[in-house]
Amino acid sequence: MTDIQSRVSHCFSIVFPELAPADIAGASQESLARWDSVAHITLLSAIAEEFQCELDEEFLETLTSYRLIVEYLKARAVHHAQRPPLPSCQ
Amino acid sequence: MRGFVVDFEEIMTLAQALALVQQRKEAIRKRKLFLVCGFEPLHLGTFLQGHFAQRFQHEAADLKTGLYGDLEGTLAAAAGSESEAAAVVIEWSDLDSRLGLRSTGGWGLSVQPDILANCRDRLARLLGGLEALASRMPVALAPPTLPIPFLGHSAGWQIGRNELELHRQLVAFLADAAKLMRVSILNPVRLDKLSPVASRLDPLMDLKAGFPYSLGHASVLAGQIVETLFPPSPMKGLITDLDGTLWSGIVGEVGAAEVSWSLSEHSQIYGLYQQLLRHFSEMGVLLAIASKNELVVVEEALRREDLYVPAKAFYPVRADWGPKSRHIGEILRAWNIGAESVVFVDDDPMELDEVRTAFPSITCLQFPQNHPARTLALFEELRDLFGKPAVNFEDTLRQASIQAREAFHEAAERADSGEFVRGLHGRVTFDSRKDAANQRLLELINKTNQFNLNGVRLSQAEWMRHLADEGGFVVGVAYEDRFGPLGTIGVIAGCQTGDQFEVTSWVLSCRAFSRKIEHHMLDCLFRQRGASAIRLSFRPTGRNGPMREFLRSIGLDCDSGSGMKLTQEWFLSLQDALPHQIRTLRND
Repeated sequence: MTDIQSRVSHCFSIVFPELAPADIAGASQESLARWDSVAHITLLSAIAEEFQCELDEEFLETLTSYRLIVEYLKARAVHHAQRPPLPSCQ
Repeated sequence: MRGFVVDFEEIMTLAQALALVQQRKEAIRKRKLFLVCGFEPLHLGTFLQGHFAQRFQHEAADLKTGLYGDLEGTLAAAAGSESEAAAVVIEWSDLDSRLGLRSTGGWGLSVQPDILANCRDRLARLLGGLEALASRMPVALAPPTLPIPFLGHSAGWQIGRNELELHRQLVAFLADAAKLMRVSILNPVRLDKLSPVASRLDPLMDLKAGFPYSLGHASVLAGQIVETLFPPSPMKGLITDLDGTLWSGIVGEVGAAEVSWSLSEHSQIYGLYQQLLRHFSEMGVLLAIASKNELVVVEEALRREDLYVPAKAFYPVRADWGPKSRHIGEILRAWNIGAESVVFVDDDPMELDEVRTAFPSITCLQFPQNHPARTLALFEELRDLFGKPAVNFEDTLRQASIQAREAFHEAAERADSGEFVRGLHGRVTFDSRKDAANQRLLELINKTNQFNLNGVRLSQAEWMRHLADEGGFVVGVAYEDRFGPLGTIGVIAGCQTGDQFEVTSWVLSCRAFSRKIEHHMLDCLFRQRGASAIRLSFRPTGRNGPMREFLRSIGLDCDSGSGMKLTQEWFLSLQDALPHQIRTLRND
């Protein structure tokens, strides 16, 4: 399990404490009855807090499964790693 | 997080709040709280439960909320609920939806008079709802914490007239709300320090989910609500050093006339500290002095008429060259209170360390030298430690009655005990009125340790339910004698069925020991209230030895494990005529 997966799993476990650890990787809004609109906001807020990222509209509306959340965060990490360093102050 | 000194690293995160809520799911004691707000409660609710769980180990908050956009309706629902306490959180959009991001009703100049009129009406109705709610339970009221959106016609650096008018309406509303019993208002100045205004609003969450706060702001706001609704017991006594703390200079070297505390002598900060101590003294905080000095020199300095805190406010004054831990021990014995209720202030870290080693539970604070900003931070910390929601009559008597106690004990040692107590010419007033406005009785139940039947503490809501219960009784006891008034110093409460009484709360202030007042209290239930038998819900607490001794003295077995019962016949057979005059106040 990667660092991102493990941190996302932790967020799932605190928002959905009744979810068995083995079921977290397959969790989605469709498969999990408790994943309603309030839980969705709570989960994504916990993830934004954990990864120190800001919620944006795309993030809010499209990340409806564990897999999609992990993929989004991996892509974001690559994007941040590829950004050119800031010019140094003279 | 306690009080003013805030480490932002310590602000509770959402993950921490969720984990705390989860941990307490199986808590045995769940307390019903109502969150009254017009927005979606979302994370504010989670943070409230999290901060509550942090404040009360082994307890959980069972949180109720209302409907989105219906602050008034939710106020009414809360007032009709069985909740123990309520948090009312108002935002500008609750006063007029046009002041929020989710409305497109406009806020242009043409509609602003209508917005102002609407807000005025809404605030008047909210005050009525708040009054009804506060008649049932304690309320923490949070005034709007978000900025008013774009109302002014001026640029952002200039505030507009109508914005000011809104603020005027709000302040008038808050001033009226503050007069309501059991309503406590969050301090916006403290909130500004803890949660910067610019990072409070989360526009995306507001537009998408109807929840307007950033996580950080929701956490801080919830923490302040819990502090306001369930304030920690205030400290009772402050012991201060003198040189470099109460004044500038070493009195033993420069003499009493040369120590200073004034602006002209560049020592104003000490004058401010003296003023703070005077304020504390008027609030009923006990003050004493522990100083390494010659007593005669200290007494000379304390006679100076330009002191901002009168010398008589300090009792006892301990000054010699012995260790300060000895002074502190003597002061605690004179006050008859525990070190955990006391703060010791000294400029010397070594002295603080010596006292802390001897009394680990005392709060030791250093008086900073040559650093006014740090000294003001100390004042803020002291305010948090000693602050109380209300100052009552008994607070103003405390210092004088402790000083009178020494004379009392000296006189008691010289005389035969029975003759001495009769010679006090005591007057006991029993007040059987079930008056919810009398907060002193609940305060006594919740802070008395030694003469306490069982150590059970009651919430405001539990107390109000007891007062509303037809079978419940309560007797408050006030006392005065030739040594002066002690104010209301005892409570006995419980329930009665016919002539069978059950006492569930019984406390007597340690200031009132050795006067047979406890005998008068039982006598009151037997003779005045007609009890034929009284069952006492005694439980040892580790600190209620004086209660146990008294019960043994009237022939009750404190170790039996079953509830103890006292009959009128048995009690009256033990008593000679009781010593004090009696006055009774009752509704019926």
